[in-house]
Amino acid sequence: MTDPKQAITEAEAIEQAKQGHEAAFEVLYHLHKRRVYSLCLRMVANPAQAEDLAQEAFLQLFRKIGTFRGESAFSTWLHRMTVNVVLMQLRKKGLPVVSLEETLEADDEAPRKEFGTKDLRLTGSVDRLQLQRAIDKLPPGYRTVFVLHDVEGFEHNEIAQMVGCSIGNSKSQLHKARLKLRDFLKFMRAEKAKTG
Amino acid sequence: MVEFRKASSQPASIKNTAIVTAVLATCLSSALCSAAFAEAAKEFRYTVGAHANISVDTQYGSISVKPGTDNEVVVTATLKSDNVEVDQQQNGNRIEIASHLLRGTDQRNGQVDYELLIPPDATVNLRSSTGPMSAERLQGDLTLEGAEAAVNVRDVENGHVHIRTMRGPITLTDVRNGHVEVASISGDVHLKGVTGPLVQVTSGRGGISYDGDFSSGGEYRFTTHTGDIRVLVPADVSADFKARSVLGRVQHDFPLKPRHSRFPEEVGRSFFGTTGQASSEVVLRSFSGRIRLKQR
Amino acid sequence: MTCSDVEQALPELLDGEANGAFPTEVESHLQSCAACSGLVSDLETIAGAARTLAASEEPPPRVWARIALELRAEGLIRDQPADAKLAPGRPILLPTAARRRWSSTAWWLAPVAAALVAGGSYVVSHKPATPVAQNQAPVNAAPSSAPSPAGSAPTTPWQCGLPAQASMQPTVTAQTTVEPEPSADDQQFLSAVSTRAPSMRATYENQLKAVNADILETQAYVDRNPRDAEAREHLMEAYQQKALLYQIALDRIQ
Repeated sequence: MTDPKQAITEAEAIEQAKQGHEAAFEVLYHLHKRRVYSLCLRMVANPAQAEDLAQEAFLQLFRKIGTFRGESAFSTWLHRMTVNVVLMQLRKKGLPVVSLEETLEADDEAPRKEFGTKDLRLTGSVDRLQLQRAIDKLPPGYRTVFVLHDVEGFEHNEIAQMVGCSIGNSKSQLHKARLKLRDFLKFMRAEKAKTG
Repeated sequence: MVEFRKASSQPASIKNTAIVTAVLATCLSSALCSAAFAEAAKEFRYTVGAHANISVDTQYGSISVKPGTDNEVVVTATLKSDNVEVDQQQNGNRIEIASHLLRGTDQRNGQVDYELLIPPDATVNLRSSTGPMSAERLQGDLTLEGAEAAVNVRDVENGHVHIRTMRGPITLTDVRNGHVEVASISGDVHLKGVTGPLVQVTSGRGGISYDGDFSSGGEYRFTTHTGDIRVLVPADVSADFKARSVLGRVQHDFPLKPRHSRFPEEVGRSFFGTTGQASSEVVLRSFSGRIRLKQR
Repeated sequence: MTCSDVEQALPELLDGEANGAFPTEVESHLQSCAACSGLVSDLETIAGAARTLAASEEPPPRVWARIALELRAEGLIRDQPADAKLAPGRPILLPTAARRRWSSTAWWLAPVAAALVAGGSYVVSHKPATPVAQNQAPVNAAPSSAPSPAGSAPTTPWQCGLPAQASMQPTVTAQTTVEPEPSADDQQFLSAVSTRAPSMRATYENQLKAVNADILETQAYVDRNPRDAEAREHLMEAYQQKALLYQIALDRIQ
């Protein structure tokens, strides 16, 4: 699975893609495929759907490439387009994009003490595979904000605009997502300690 | 500073013990001895950790896999003649078994039948030209490939199931919650109680029959070239259906709610519509086969 | 400050605004409360680890193959045939195969299988007017690093299931079913099977005839109905079926 030799820059590829050259489209695809696909996969936690969404994101991008004037970075443009494609899909399926509660609920208030004072920290390291699995287990509303903010690096004001919620809502969703992930990761770690 | 460790655990201790059991010929008289094959049964036992990886490759012969204990793989190989050997090796958690045919061996005297008992979470790869191959009551990933081999998978959960055959028929029963990808050139594919996030079945000339409920909010894609597609589902199925045959007849007996589609609906050649909450996506496509969606 | 106060304040404090420096009253609570400082540390760890997941997954090759197909269908790819670089997508029917030992006889099957699919996607998107195209230039479809079988012509889509000579008319048998002559690659395929697994030869030969007939039939339909995108997809899949046949043979011939 090697990328095609990049004899041209991204800017040149964009210009050539506007002329309809397949190799140029392919260069652009290979440059950004991991970012796009990973974003889709993290958001929907389903590889087959993620493939379709990644495909759709690139197609939408390539259809509009004639209008790209270079005002913003190409990758930013593609990134946002991908998020929109995914959010549209979530809305179509009737899945909540974000939850509507603004404030923390009663059971989220105090740090959980179930695991005993000895094991409060994740000891400074997180198993990547476990984190991926934990993200997949998040309710879709929490997952969206977590992926957009912590994984993809969008700011709260951008997230609020894309998903249609308030900035405060975005922050509280993110916090709840992280709390839930912390619980999942500790549970996974405890399970592993039992069997490993 | 963040560090990452691989999720897979190392098995505690690995031992490989091969036990060879008795071999007896079945010739009745000295005149028949030269024609009779000497059938031999061999048993191999391996200790493994979680998520072991087990491969069996035989040109001629059956393979059957069932669940055993959590940390042991037991392989019983029945060799039909002296013209075939069993190569086996273990590297950590990976076990590879293959039938090795000596020169001039044909289907009759090159046959080795395998029976395996494995940990239910193991990943399994089975290959046989003639088969049959079967796997049941497992939870790991399964890959089965055969030419003429009939494939039977039953009561499997959570794993990825990949099957491909040339013309061997494929039957999946009670396969749940995993990714299922089946491809055959002319084998018929029968699915009963198969559900999950992705069920993708392709047969060129073979037919596809599905008896189930398309549940789990998954994506179900059945494609044939000339084979017929027959689907039997309950009245309360919840799915978004798209069906089209380029040359074959397409029928359904469901009151589908129409949905907007950029493809024109040709009565008798295609239908689009939803039932219930349209939770699952069902795409039925054929070039010249018939497509039938029936209510149970 | 109580633990509950700190918890309430965390959503605002943890990202951006504070830049790692908490207000004094929060800091002093954290210094004296192991539970809260553990929580803050964990949440920061999770956020940090999450960053490394961006761009961590690779999509399978079929994603590009489908995109390219659609771009051609929509006319966004406007390359001329001579300039066309084909996307050698892997046949989408095939699951990821375990590492295999390739026999010396069958090494050529893999690039042929890949070429079949690449050629299929080329044919599908170019919608030629008639099935007879003697002036069709052979397209170099196989990946350039793969050795080509000695003495055989470059694989073109037209050779898949069609006679090797210039005339593309398939032979018509007495039963009026169209049974194409096997191409050079098909002949080589069958001879490899005969050598290595003679008892399987008849089976493979029948399957090969079947997939070739399906390709021909679908091609003929696509030629008559160039706008039928669904039919083009079936043609692509027919080529993939042939590639699947080659791949199964590759795995089975020892």
